[in-house]
Amino acid sequence: MRAIVRWGVVVGVLAVALGIWGLAPQAQTQVFRVCSDIAWPPFEWVDAKGEFVGFDLDVMRIIAILKGYKITIQNLGFDSIIPAVQAGQCDIGASGFTITEERKKVVDFSDPYWESNQSVLVRADSGLNIITAFKPGNKIGAQRGTTGAQWVEDNVIKQGIAVELKLYETYPLAEQDLINKQLHAVVEDEPAAKVAVKASKGVLKIVGIIMTEERFGFLVRKGDPLKLLPRINDGMKEMKKKSIWNNLVEAYFGVDVNLERITQCWADLKGWLDKNQPEAYAENLAACMAGESYKKP
Amino acid sequence: MLDKLLLIWESLPLLIRGAIVTLELTMSLLAIGFVLGLIVALGQVYGPRPIAMLMSGYERFFRAMPILVLLIVFFYGLAFLGVSLPAFGTAVLVFGLHSSAYQSQIFRGSIQAIKPGQILAARALGMTRLQVIRYITLPQALRLAIPGWSNEYSGVLKDTSFAFAIGVTELARQGWQIATRTREMFLVFISVALIYLLLTYLGTWLLELLERYLSVPGLAGQRREEHGRVV
Repeated sequence: MRAIVRWGVVVGVLAVALGIWGLAPQAQTQVFRVCSDIAWPPFEWVDAKGEFVGFDLDVMRIIAILKGYKITIQNLGFDSIIPAVQAGQCDIGASGFTITEERKKVVDFSDPYWESNQSVLVRADSGLNIITAFKPGNKIGAQRGTTGAQWVEDNVIKQGIAVELKLYETYPLAEQDLINKQLHAVVEDEPAAKVAVKASKGVLKIVGIIMTEERFGFLVRKGDPLKLLPRINDGMKEMKKKSIWNNLVEAYFGVDVNLERITQCWADLKGWLDKNQPEAYAENLAACMAGESYKKP
Repeated sequence: MLDKLLLIWESLPLLIRGAIVTLELTMSLLAIGFVLGLIVALGQVYGPRPIAMLMSGYERFFRAMPILVLLIVFFYGLAFLGVSLPAFGTAVLVFGLHSSAYQSQIFRGSIQAIKPGQILAARALGMTRLQVIRYITLPQALRLAIPGWSNEYSGVLKDTSFAFAIGVTELARQGWQIATRTREMFLVFISVALIYLLLTYLGTWLLELLERYLSVPGLAGQRREEHGRVV
């Protein structure tokens, strides 16, 4: 019996300690949680050392430097990010989100930062073109919850063309199924499709671009209670003014998307970000990707 | 061939990092499940009627809930109520509650396997009810529970891969991320499978050693050898 009482006291003390720890005042610099599904190069991916790399994440890091706050990056499934932002588990969603009316009902978006079109991926040896890829009965792949999947729903299936839409957890899985001849085509955003073509070493090709002119935005909780959107929008303007933006775009979306190379360049140069020098970072990243000489921090 | 082996070799640190998260999650949830499960089992067997019913209700509820549903409800629900628990903590809590319901039934079975005569005898010797549980029931019941518990270990070890739904990067998710970057789905997931196999094998082997180490000759259900043959 005495043992039980003793353990009861231990548990009680632990519970109180945990409570106090939970209520402890926040650190002085504000820290915001950025959530992203880090499995969609070149916007975000995990490198061989486990570091989070990608355009979205660099933009988030640089804005944080410019606006004087800190971020932690949380890796979360794409489907879960909007609910997590709504529930307050994430402060910013940065995962190549297209701004849509439907999403605007539940979250608020920043100014658009990227324009993207959907592309149609097929196997290079399949002989399909952008019309025959959507023949009735064909299997089309897309990632669940994306605008690519939505486009197939709205513009193919609802128009009476009975293709079979197969939804996947992530795009790389859909691409794999396409390579395995389980699908006829995959519909996804152009930059990511380019990465897939490059990675497949010629097995896949893009047969056409659908001009959806989607615009990507960062998203925050409805009503923006943390007043993040003005800082994000302002930060993006500042990046453009200081030509950080152009250099980043050139580095990540240049003619030849080369994941290995950019991962290497990023690892060499991220020290500039630690030194709070985003201009030097972006300039050297672009130079590194262009094969020119660059300066390590 | 060589470049593929090299790829796995390079991915190994990340896979190991994921395996450590998986193990941490498994160990923590088993510990929570052990404590709660034992309380539930004792309540069900020895508790007065209202307590026994309460415990049964708890056990039925958590056994009925799919783990993914619980994870989502707790993760988003707690935040909605203003309680901010990190993803890993939420996962430990949810898996722990879920596992406690299953573990309670392992313990209930082994507690009930103790012959009522022993308890009557102990009571007749003047032991209190708590003393009976502490010195008669539990030492035997916990030994009997090890095989079932080892089953629970290998079960929850793999369930932990659901934790990515709320952002815990464990072994399976590390595999995902590597596969996304390298596009070597098959190769990466074969490696992930081998690591799960290794973890399951090691864990159940350690529990088997524990079972043998703690074995008491004559305890019902215990494997023992007499005159060279298994009785």
